[in-house]
This record gives sequence, C-alpha cells and structure tokens, in this order.
Amino acid sequence: MSDTPTAKRDRIELISLYVVTIILAFVIAAILVNTSGGSWSKAVEAMINGSFKNPGRWGETLRRAAPLLIVAAGSAIAAKAGIINIGQEGQVLIGATGAAFIMTKIHPGSPLMLILGVLLGMLSGAAWAGISALLYYWRRVPVVLSTLLLVYLSSQITGYTMTRKFLLLEVIEGSPTKIQNSAKTAVNSRLGIMHIFGNNVPLTVPIAIIFAIGVAYILAHSVWGFRLKMLGLNPRTAQRAGVSHVKFGTMALLTSGAAAGLAGSLMLATGESNYRASSGFSASVGWDGLLVALVARNNPYASIPVALAFACLHTGSNFLAAAGVESVLVDVIRGLLVLALFIPPAVSELRKKRRVLALMTERA
Amino acid sequence: MADPISDHLIENHKGGGTSVPPPAVVVRRIVKRYGALAACDGVDLTMRAGEIHGVLGQNGAGKSTLMKILIGLVTPDEGSIAINGKDARIGSPQIASDLGIGMVHQHFSLVDGLSVWENVVLGEKAHLDRSAARSRVAEIGERYGLDVDPDARVSSLTAGQRQRVEIIKCLRRDPKILIFDEPTSVLTPEESSHLFGVLRNVVKTEGRTVALVSHKLEEVLRATDDITIMRDGKVVAFMRTQETDRHALAEAMVGRNVDLRGGKTRHASENTIVASDVAAPVPVLEVIDASVHTKAAGVQLANLSLSVMAGEIVGIAGVEGNGQRVLADVLSSLTALNSGSVKVKGREIASGRPGAMSKSGIGVIPEDRHDSGCVLDMSVAENLVLADQGSFAQRGFLDRKKISTQAEELVQQFGINCSTVDAPMWTLSGGNQQRVVLARELSIGPSVLVAAQPTRGLDVGAIEYMGGRLKLAAADGVGVLLISSEIEELIELSDRILVMYRGAIVGEMKAGEIDMHRLGMLMGGAG
Repeated sequence: MSDTPTAKRDRIELISLYVVTIILAFVIAAILVNTSGGSWSKAVEAMINGSFKNPGRWGETLRRAAPLLIVAAGSAIAAKAGIINIGQEGQVLIGATGAAFIMTKIHPGSPLMLILGVLLGMLSGAAWAGISALLYYWRRVPVVLSTLLLVYLSSQITGYTMTRKFLLLEVIEGSPTKIQNSAKTAVNSRLGIMHIFGNNVPLTVPIAIIFAIGVAYILAHSVWGFRLKMLGLNPRTAQRAGVSHVKFGTMALLTSGAAAGLAGSLMLATGESNYRASSGFSASVGWDGLLVALVARNNPYASIPVALAFACLHTGSNFLAAAGVESVLVDVIRGLLVLALFIPPAVSELRKKRRVLALMTERA
Repeated sequence: MADPISDHLIENHKGGGTSVPPPAVVVRRIVKRYGALAACDGVDLTMRAGEIHGVLGQNGAGKSTLMKILIGLVTPDEGSIAINGKDARIGSPQIASDLGIGMVHQHFSLVDGLSVWENVVLGEKAHLDRSAARSRVAEIGERYGLDVDPDARVSSLTAGQRQRVEIIKCLRRDPKILIFDEPTSVLTPEESSHLFGVLRNVVKTEGRTVALVSHKLEEVLRATDDITIMRDGKVVAFMRTQETDRHALAEAMVGRNVDLRGGKTRHASENTIVASDVAAPVPVLEVIDASVHTKAAGVQLANLSLSVMAGEIVGIAGVEGNGQRVLADVLSSLTALNSGSVKVKGREIASGRPGAMSKSGIGVIPEDRHDSGCVLDMSVAENLVLADQGSFAQRGFLDRKKISTQAEELVQQFGINCSTVDAPMWTLSGGNQQRVVLARELSIGPSVLVAAQPTRGLDVGAIEYMGGRLKLAAADGVGVLLISSEIEELIELSDRILVMYRGAIVGEMKAGEIDMHRLGMLMGGAG
C-alpha cells in the first residue's frame, strides 16, 4: 500500500507542508522577537545553546524528553481504542506522589523499593485514570471532561499530602516547614544516571525508548492491540466480534494512566526537583506528552523525534530569557511551533477523510 | 407568505363556487434513473385540494423518490409537474417551499438538546422573537390538536410527540401541500389515529392537500380519499378509497404476477435430516418469547418466537421497521433481550454479551455492513478474521502469515475483487465488501447464518451470487434466517416464510403454499 502513487504524493505533500509551516512559525517568531526589542539571531543562538550546545544541556534535554515519550506512548494506547485521555498531567503527578510514599518513607531503601515505588506509581496513575473510566461506563460522563478536570483535583490532593506529616510532608526537626514538599527519596531507591561526555543522562532515556517501541509493537501485533483498534474504529462491529466496550475501553484508559504514572515515578527516581515530590512536580510533562502524541498522531515511533523536539523547546526556552527575550514571548513561540507541527497532519487527515467520503458516496 | 401562487390558491378556495379548481398537484410521466435502475419509471399522480391522497407501495417501489422530486431534493430526468394548474420546475427545496409544498420526513430532523420552540424556528433567518415563536407554536398546536409544550426539551419527548413537533415545524411555513412519509412507522396505534384526525382537520377545514406515503394497507384505507399504488417504479393502480378493499390493495401492492418458484428450493432439508444422527431434529436456532423494549423507541420485539432447522432457509417477510433490525441486532449480541431467550442447538446464549452469539455459531450478514459488519479503516485481510482473531494468534500475538494465507484463500474462494489483501476495506466496492462479510461469517463454520437484507444495493450479478451462496450454506446444513423486504427474493430462496409485524411473528407459510393475498395482508398488519 505504501508505494501507491497517491500515498507517495501524499507523503511529499505532507513533508512540504511541514517545511512551510515550520518556516512560517520561525518567521513570525522572529518578527515578534525583533519588534519586542530582542534580536532573533540571538534568540536562535540561545535556543541552540540551551537545548544542546552548552555543556550538559543535551543531557537535560534527554532527561526532559524521556517522560514525554512515555506519556505519549501511553496516550497512543487510549487513542487506539477511540478514547481521548487528556488528563496525563494529573496522572503523572499522582503517579509521582504514589511512588513517593514508598521511595521517601522507607529508609534506607533498596533497589526493591525502587521497583515497588515505580509499581505503586503506575498503579496510582492507572487508578486516577480509572476514575474517568468508572464515571464514563457508569454515568456516561465524557472521558475528555473527567480526565481534564481530574488534573486540577490531582494537584489539590498532592498538595494536601504535602501538608500532613503522616502523609508526605518532610519532617525537619525544630524548623517550621514553609515549603511543602516531600522528603528526598532514599538514596538506594534512586535510578541510575549515566555520565556521557559531561552530560547526565538518566536511565529513563533507554527505558522510555524501549517502552515506546514495546507499545508500538504490542499495538500493531498483539491480539489485544487488534481488539483495541477494532473498538476504536467501529465499536459495534467490535462488540459483535466479542470485544466489550466496557472491558477493553477501561483497560486502554487504565494502561494509558499507568504509563503516565510510570513517567511520574521515574522522574522522581531520577532526581526531578531534587528527588522531592510536590504539587508542582509534574512540570507540564503530562501536557507536553499529550501534545507529543497529538503531533505524532498517536504513533509511538514518531513520538520519539517529536518528544525530542518538544524537549529542545523546553530546555532551549530556559535560555531565551537571558537573551533578552521577554518571558511571555517564550510561551508564544512555543505555541507557534506546536501549531506548525500540528497543522500538516491535521490537513492530511482531513483530506483523507474527504477522499474516503467521496469514494463512498460515489459508490452508494 | 404573500407570493402570487399561494394567493391564487387561497382565492380558488374561498371563492371557488362556480369554476372547478385545477388539481393541486399533477405529475406527468416522471422518470428518474439511477444507473440501470429506474426508481420512477413514467409515474403519473394527481392530487386534489381538500383531500388526502395515499401513495401505497412496498419498500423500493419508488414512493420516496417521487416525493423527493416533489420536494425538490431530486431532479427528475423526464416528465412534468404542475402545481395548481401551473407548470413548475422544482429545482430545489427552496422552490418547493415557495410553491407551498412541505414535507414531514420519516426520520426526524430535530435537535435533541433544544426545546420544542427552538427546533421549530431553527433555520429561519429572520430576527428571533422568543415569545412570539413560543406563542405561535402553542397556537398551531391548539388549532390542529398537536398538543406539545413549547418549552419541553426534545430529548424528553416520545416518538409521537416528536412527530408533532415535526408537523408544527412544517405547518408553521403554512404549506398548501403537505407530504407525510411513512408517518406512523414510529407511532403507537392511538397516536396514529390521533394523527389521522389531525390530517383530516387540516384537509377539510383549510383546503390543504395531504399526501400520505405508506405501505400499511389498514391506515391507507382508513385515512385517505384516493390511493395511488406503486410497484417497481411504476404506478400500477389508482383507486378511490371508498371503492376498494384490503384484498384489492394487497394484490396490487404485491403484484399477482410474482413467479412462484417454490419447487426450485427443495434442496437441503432431506439430506440434512439424514445426516443428523438424532431422531427428532433439534432446531439450530430457537428464539423464544423474545421481547425488547426501550424508553426511547418503545416496544421493538414483542414476544417473538421462531425456530430454524439445520439446512433450512427461513425467510422473514415484513415491512421495514417492524423489528427486523432489532432481531438481527439481538442475534449479533448488539442488543440484550428484556425477556425471552435465544438458543443455538438447544443451548441458551446470553443475549447482549459481546461476542456470545458469534462464538455460539451465529454468523450474521448485517443490514448495514458499515455499521456492524466490517471496519472500513482496517485491511481486507484483517476484516476477514475479525470474528475469530483468537485462532490467528500465538501466545497473544497475531500470526500475520496465517492471516494473509487465510485471506488469500477466502479472496480466491469468494471471488473478492481487491488490489491486495492488505488494501483498506474502504477501497472495495459495496458488492465486494459484502462478499468479505459473507466469506468471514461462513469461514467460522456457523450453525446459523442470519442474512439481513443481504442483496440491498447490489447489482443483478451480485444478487444472484448471494442467493447461490445462501442455498449452498443451507445445503451444508447451516440454518439460514433470511430477513428481507424483497418478497420475490424470499419466495425464491425460503423453505418457509414468517411474516413480522410490530415486533412479532404474525403468520407463517410453507414454500409451496404461498398466498400473495394473505402475505400482503399480514405485512400490512391486516391479517
């Protein structure tokens, strides 16, 4: 199928569309930077320095990219079943909080605690997504709504655990605690960090790549993936063929929540915010991961470069402020680039739909 | 509403003492072709003001096409139309509306989340005056006995009430000619008789013209003044209602020249009885006292019972919308029974449990293959193994090689025309998609095959092929349940025909003893 002339033409069109939109985004961004008193050439330099050129920066970028990739691969699972989970931000946070219960509470800790912590983190993320599944199959509350709203609840709940000593609040003898965060994780329950050419590359990076490839393989080749696909594309045909909407839909949502939980607990295990969980711990990893999945059109393989690109935007933009670019503009530029990456696949998707529709009405 | 045409009409009626007014609608020699098929083939129709005109015919007789032509949705290839004696070219629904023609469609076009009055004014471009609109709805409702609360949400209304909203919506534009397409298909008997009262009122007191499109003998006899009967795109009879009866109507609708080819179908029953080692053959499929009712749709199956023996083709005749679709859904595990049971070879199957019917050996060719028969965005090969993915897998992973081997084999065996087995399903023509569904359902070795409208939309060759396949399946000992609205197809293929009406089986005939009279009457609910 991939070598039919239409498919070839489509691919060329898609790529040229990417080129055009990305150039356009950069041009608009340059104009914005220059008119607000900055210099676009300096901004570009800052982005490059920040994301990989300066010492230690590409390690930072990879550190950021890994959880994005895990979250995106998880989103792809839900999307396969036709379920739109947009609450990864909350699931990441709840996952990290769950992991913190084991990783910070049990000292001196051991590698077993690391594994148990990550498992509890995945379980917490899954349970958090499970609330949405329950609400949908029991009361028909749309998953998009409930997953989104649960994000706000998640930071409240995590925040609460950081206000009580018997939960996660760090106990510091003799000093009133103002900063509400958990204790550091036990040293033995941390995940290794590789030192490569002066960069700190956490082990989450290979884990994320293996995870994404594994998800892609399972979705494409397992019976389970086949059933999710059937459910996503035609729920009635799926039901006739023995795929229960409730069972498989719930499984897909739980798995995508577990992936977000995995991302959160691995972030904690590799030293995000200095090995301490807090209510702001997820740092937009959930949102960005969701965007990665959207831009990669829920393809875990494509998510790998896209996650890297998003991570570059993140780490690079940290340097923009130093180059005299107003901090608000940083967000605007990121938004522009997201749009640029998002428009081409949306256009080609629309085109395909129109072509199918035309063919079907012609034949009806 | 000050256009000259409706003014002219009103004058005709107000003053019409001396001169005889021209008929409200005159249709002459209308032809509409779709490819080789002539949906309307030289149709004549005359409707007079102040009367209810019934248009009777089976599904596919051309009634709907004719009405779509009057409402400007379809442009005829040949023929002419005169409205109130003036030639009219109805090129668009807007023109029809300007001519004073309105239609109440069979399928409602209401927005569930909006209130009644909002639905009524929907699509109007003028300034929205909430209180005026509400009082207008209430006023129309009162005048015609269409009682409905203007502020109610449409989603909270019953089917009958929704239809009232549709009628109000239509009457609000003050049409002189109203077309009702199968209006009672979703109504209870009480709601139907109320509707006929309303129609009579509209016609008698205001001189409007009503066309009542229907396939139900009883209601056409009860509600109309004149009846035009269509079959196969042609008008086969015109009658004054007072001068006719059910028998004449049934005969005209079904046609007396149907070739009774019962003899040809004696194919399988004998050898399967020999093959089975039980003395008294157990039916392969039994449906016992099956009932389905929902709040939204009302009663859909009413204590329906039927059984199919191995090697037997049992036809279900009936006008569409009498529960056939629901029956097929039940046998597809898509709908759960409220009471009653389904048994395959004497073993009860849990209804509504995903995949249960398929696993127990019920293959289904659904009425709408895009709805529950195939997945358009999957490949042909994948579609061929949908029902039975488990046997094409090892340790939870798909065996792609085995899948393509099976697919290649079925493509060959069923003559499916596709570029490769990996081509997406949507690239196939309708007939080939249907073959994919058939091939898959037969490949699981079913004991029962349900074929719902299996030849709909197919060309002649494909129809013949499908018929042959069903016979072959029966000869192999499969019990075939053939649900169809094509009477000739049923007669040609079935060993037994059951007639379905309002969710129940109301009559049964053996292949050799088919009485077209009775069949027509049973289908029209007049048995």
